[in-house]
Amino acid sequence: MPAILIADDEQHIRMLIEQTLESLEDEGVDILAAQNGEEALETIKEKRPELVFLDVMMPKMNGFDVCNTVKNTLGMKGVYIIMLTAKGQEFDKEKGAESGCDLYITKPFSPKELKSKAREILGL
Amino acid sequence: MAIINLKKLLQRKDITELIGGLIVSIGVNVCIKDGAGTILYGTGGDDLSGLPITVDGQTVGWIYGENVSKIASTASLLNYIVGAEAQKKALATETLDKYSELTMLYDFVEKVNAFNVKEIADFLIKHVSEQIRADNVSVMLTDEITGMLELIAERGSVGAQMSAVGIAGIVMSSCKSEIINDCRCDPRCAMETGGVSSLICSPIKAKEKALGIVIASTTEPYNYTADDLNFFCTLVSQAAFAIDNARLYESLKEAFIKTVYTLAETIEKRDPYTGGHTKRVMNYSVAIAENLGISAGDKERLELASVLHDIGKIGVSDNVLRKTAKLTDEEFEEIKTHTTCGRDILSYIEELKGIIPGVKSHHERFDGRGYPDKLKGLEIDMIARIIAVADTFDAMTSDRPYRKGLPFNTALQELRKCSGTQFDPTVVEAFFKAVDNNKINPENQEKYIRGDNNDACNSDSR
Repeated sequence: MPAILIADDEQHIRMLIEQTLESLEDEGVDILAAQNGEEALETIKEKRPELVFLDVMMPKMNGFDVCNTVKNTLGMKGVYIIMLTAKGQEFDKEKGAESGCDLYITKPFSPKELKSKAREILGL
Repeated sequence: MAIINLKKLLQRKDITELIGGLIVSIGVNVCIKDGAGTILYGTGGDDLSGLPITVDGQTVGWIYGENVSKIASTASLLNYIVGAEAQKKALATETLDKYSELTMLYDFVEKVNAFNVKEIADFLIKHVSEQIRADNVSVMLTDEITGMLELIAERGSVGAQMSAVGIAGIVMSSCKSEIINDCRCDPRCAMETGGVSSLICSPIKAKEKALGIVIASTTEPYNYTADDLNFFCTLVSQAAFAIDNARLYESLKEAFIKTVYTLAETIEKRDPYTGGHTKRVMNYSVAIAENLGISAGDKERLELASVLHDIGKIGVSDNVLRKTAKLTDEEFEEIKTHTTCGRDILSYIEELKGIIPGVKSHHERFDGRGYPDKLKGLEIDMIARIIAVADTFDAMTSDRPYRKGLPFNTALQELRKCSGTQFDPTVVEAFFKAVDNNKINPENQEKYIRGDNNDACNSDSR
């Protein structure tokens, strides 16, 4: 069963993304959530989701570090990682490239685009 | 109300513990099934009595037990949990809807101000169509001269806006948005509804005045809500600001260009022998540029520079400027100052700084023997290289007091001869292409001369 992980410390963002992707559950996609960087890393190791939405600014471990660990240290290159960054706080493209993230999306995100991106990545 | 997935809910750790603990404490065999009859908890159930688990009258599952009274409290708890979950979901859906609207508004406001009026109208229509059900969306603006509503942009079934004749007038004068969900029966709509069933109409309002209207309509009956209207009006009001700004900008630009033409005309009037010269040089320049594939920005600069190329002649004394006999060396030196003088005049106007190289260098020669800076080849601004050809060609073909203008074809041969020495060969090539395409020909050239000035005289291009 393919899985998507949503990692963000803000509850309302997690809820919005969950709600955006909800209909994918009917197609057999498992939707997981994590509240901080460490939890995100543990969940990725354990559940091996195909797609991860990763907030940049998170307590315990920031998004870049999580991504770097997953892609480079653990060598899990197959996990598609989308970084979430707040508008106004310029995304550090260099750090993003170093950490190996596949894409970044600025918040406020467009739910429609987010969903079609998720479908595309999961091949639905 | 959202549909609840009982299975997923029971898998949640906190709920599993809560329900599990409760069932253990009542000490009877319990089975929970979902709406389709699949067992989610426990076993059996067929021989047991059951209680439904419902949300808003809809059964999402059943709980079975040996004794109904013993499972009643568990059933109540499940009903409560399911109800709370449904409420949470409804709120989440609502929040997501608002979030989508907000994201789109954010995007809209951020981009809309960079456009011209037509682009703003198209952008507005695109966003309205994405968010609101509509078979046709039209943007109409009052023409500033005729005072009539003109269609600026539309998407969808053609001609639907015609039905809005009645409602458009009402919205324009009241300056208030309207929803009409049944056009066929509404007296505010025109007799001919043009196939429109329901519509939303909002004024494009700037400074308390309606500049026009936007209409979204459907061909099948549809129930537009206050929410639709709210969102529609928010988008339209943002677009209204942008349209008002774009119009102001366009009229400022127009006034600026007219001022530039007036300035050029003023100079030309001082030198009666060169009547129509400015206009012809601009026409030639534009015709040349069309064959050089220059950018829109460069084209704009070229137009202004060709109009203003001789502006510096304001600083040349009358007796030199109007002299019909051959100029002395000293007098010719004075004439030459019109290039640098042009630069000095234009440097006061920020918006014209970009055309200074074109004006200052229009007497430079491709071989470096021109003035004022003896620039060579591609050191000379491209616009100046174009004006040099246009200016000289017009000087050659115009009559002067001490000589008649050269015939068209002789002047063409002259251009060819000076290609690579006086002129940039690429520009000369582009000039000949314009002649081939009939953009430049003896007829239009003669017409200019006759039409603009009957006592055409004076010297060569100075």
